[in-house]
Amino acid sequence: MTAVARAWSRLTLPGKVVFTLIPLLAVLTSGLIAAIVLFGGPVVEVLNANLGVVRFVAAATIILVITIPIAFLNIYLEMKVIALMNLRIGPDRVGPWGTALSVVHGLKVLMKEDFTPSGADPVVFTWAPVVTYAAAVLTIVVLPFAPGLYGQDFNIGLLYFFAMGGLGVVGLLMGGWASFNKYSLLGGLRSAAQIISYEIPLTLSVVGLLILAGTMSLNTIVEQQDGWFANWYVFRQPLAFVIFFIAATAEANRTPFDLTEADSEIVAGFATEYSGMRFGFFFFAEYVNVFILSALTVVLFLGGWNAPFEIDPLLDWIGGVLPGLGITTPVTVALDPGGLGLPLLFLILLVPPLGTLLFAAPFYLLRSSMRWWVALIIGFLLFNVVAGGLVMAWAYVSFEWVAGLLWFLGKTFVFVFVFVWMRGTLPRVRIDQLMGFAWKWLLPAALLNLFVTAFAVVLVRS
Amino acid sequence: MTTTDHRRPSADDPRVLLDEQVGMYEPVPPYPPRTEREAEFYTLGDGQLLINIGPHHPATHGVMRVVMKLSGETIVDLDPVLGYLHRGVEKLCENADLHQTIAYLDPLEYVSSLFCEWPAVMAYEKLLDVEVPRRAEYIRVLTGELNRVSSHLLAMGFHALDLGGLTPILYSFIERDEIVEMLASITGQRMLFNYFRIGGVNGDLNHEFMSRLGDWMSRATEQIEANVGLLNENEIFVRRNRGVGVMDPELAIKMCWTGPNLRASGVPFDIRRAHPYSVYPELDFDIPTRLEGDSLARYLLRVDEVKQSLRIIDQCLHQMPDGPVMAKLPRLLRPRPGRAFAAVEGPRGEYAIYAVSDGTDQPFRFRIHDPSFLHLQSFGRLVPGKLIADWMTVNASLDPIMGGIDK
Repeated sequence: MTAVARAWSRLTLPGKVVFTLIPLLAVLTSGLIAAIVLFGGPVVEVLNANLGVVRFVAAATIILVITIPIAFLNIYLEMKVIALMNLRIGPDRVGPWGTALSVVHGLKVLMKEDFTPSGADPVVFTWAPVVTYAAAVLTIVVLPFAPGLYGQDFNIGLLYFFAMGGLGVVGLLMGGWASFNKYSLLGGLRSAAQIISYEIPLTLSVVGLLILAGTMSLNTIVEQQDGWFANWYVFRQPLAFVIFFIAATAEANRTPFDLTEADSEIVAGFATEYSGMRFGFFFFAEYVNVFILSALTVVLFLGGWNAPFEIDPLLDWIGGVLPGLGITTPVTVALDPGGLGLPLLFLILLVPPLGTLLFAAPFYLLRSSMRWWVALIIGFLLFNVVAGGLVMAWAYVSFEWVAGLLWFLGKTFVFVFVFVWMRGTLPRVRIDQLMGFAWKWLLPAALLNLFVTAFAVVLVRS
Repeated sequence: MTTTDHRRPSADDPRVLLDEQVGMYEPVPPYPPRTEREAEFYTLGDGQLLINIGPHHPATHGVMRVVMKLSGETIVDLDPVLGYLHRGVEKLCENADLHQTIAYLDPLEYVSSLFCEWPAVMAYEKLLDVEVPRRAEYIRVLTGELNRVSSHLLAMGFHALDLGGLTPILYSFIERDEIVEMLASITGQRMLFNYFRIGGVNGDLNHEFMSRLGDWMSRATEQIEANVGLLNENEIFVRRNRGVGVMDPELAIKMCWTGPNLRASGVPFDIRRAHPYSVYPELDFDIPTRLEGDSLARYLLRVDEVKQSLRIIDQCLHQMPDGPVMAKLPRLLRPRPGRAFAAVEGPRGEYAIYAVSDGTDQPFRFRIHDPSFLHLQSFGRLVPGKLIADWMTVNASLDPIMGGIDK
């Protein structure tokens, strides 16, 4: 016994960790194998029978994970873009161009004290950010990111989206009520009034589009907009697009409609008493909401994953004019790495060093002051950029979903930028102006849009 | 006799007992009401609540507390609570010799310090019968107008910030920083300049100041135009300010308003013209007025005043005579027994000093008149019936500085 204890005490800390983990891992692995052997068949059968549920759960899990980088990216964009608009430098310390700062913000929020004020209702106070965040996350399930890349294709996708998006206000109201603070209460009431008022023009503005599309499935709506950008719904429903975007700004509680957290009036609104990760969830939900509403605008009005142009007719035309080029459409890149056999290994081993040397050579040869290792580093980075670009181009041509995802994210982040731009430029409206704008202008405009669309559809079809 | 204890231990610290009947965060004073007004104010009607704005709140421009009685979002009544920044400056000045008092006055109006020094040195010069050299007077006007521009720029930026606009304040600070740097090059300080002296100023203009001023003047007009364009042409900003906090001229005069706030109500009263001092009679400038009397008029009037100040700076540079910048004075100043009053037109209105001397080297009585205090007391007239957000608009457009109010 003493020998074992002596041996244990001689181990370093990593050694202790490894020696503890090895038997644990062995036991768990064998247990898992045994479980798969014993119960694998029935489990697979059950999963097969409920494939829809499994798919939904998997999608929800993946989406929960991808919201975090989306929120980080939005936070970084907001910090940097507003800084540049203010003629400041903005984040530039953590990571290249300060890109890691939002991660550090996340860690900071995690490490802060999670404080519950005395007098608050602890249960409601704790669950409020959960509800808000869950509402934001659940809406992503129906968003079509690319052909075949979506959580679930409901035939009531849009309805589901609005239903889930409307849940977020429940969390804000819970937070405002449970905080036992008058600023929070006013913020919660403001958010309830604002979001309920703006849900109506938001939903009504889309009804005209639904009449044209004839479906609520977001996938189908995107598929209807393929081809040239003239097919996008924004050109058939321009008024609806404007109303939708304004109402979406209010839905996401963004400037100029950020009355729920108006810092110069009610300090931080519903989030006044929150700290730590509970505040972080509110914060995350806001940025995820910005992304989601931008994405929905893109999906409904700007063609979703579709490229704004068709490359094939253009290539056909070039092929017709210059037959010598031998262009055939659709363009495919025939790459079959497996066909190379054993030389493939040599290729994988040789291309990176050779490429690095190739890109490093001009720097080393043309500049006498260049150290060889500096040239090698530059060459390596350049090689990576070029190789990455080539791989991306190959993926773009070969996989439909890569191209779709690129276009979708590109368009979406244009709208995220517009949200940030408005935040940098505009002051905040007053609560009576906010409500008056929704009920006196947006709602009649949405009804007018619906009426005109319906009338035109009836005229065209008869 | 036993009393029912309504208190329960706090969740965080069981030793802390919370009074459930009153509510923890009610801004009710801990003593029974002392006046009828207090009793009326702290009695809540149906559906009303009391809320504390301040003492540390983003929109109070300092350490001010305003207790608001709200009905929903509408302000029914409000009660500004002052004194969080009180340092007893008047008493400090009465126990300091004449030169030392000037340094005490700087932090009163920390964004336009020169206008606190100016009436004090003017009052002392009246007591001492000192003739100030003309170059010193021109330098006072020049630096004072620069300080006025920087103060107005700040007021305009914070006005936007209180309405939720993030960017204009930073654009304002770019210009203000340039002005503050050039003043620092002759005074040695960026904020609390302590530059004016009895009988002149502390130092002559130097090369750095002149080159910075020349650079800045060549682009100031376009730059300020571009900056205010972000707000003047902004529909949201204009709509939030128009018709908010309207002050009619009679009431403004009755409430002792001065400065841009009074002129925005249509009263063309400017001490530089009404009771001329220094070299202002020799300078050509307009007194801008506006008739609306609302927050937008007060904001736009500051923009106009900046343009007039730039005109004055230009003229000062062209007319500045050569000569000394300090009068010849004895080392120890003992003014004649008597009293003197001096007032100047500051960026917020009339700054005035009433100094009584008993023949010693210290003032016997030293009274500071601050315009922000008088502007602040008209909240009760301007705000009730409006929304919470309108209070921020009115407060920003009145542009109070708490250092001068609490003294």
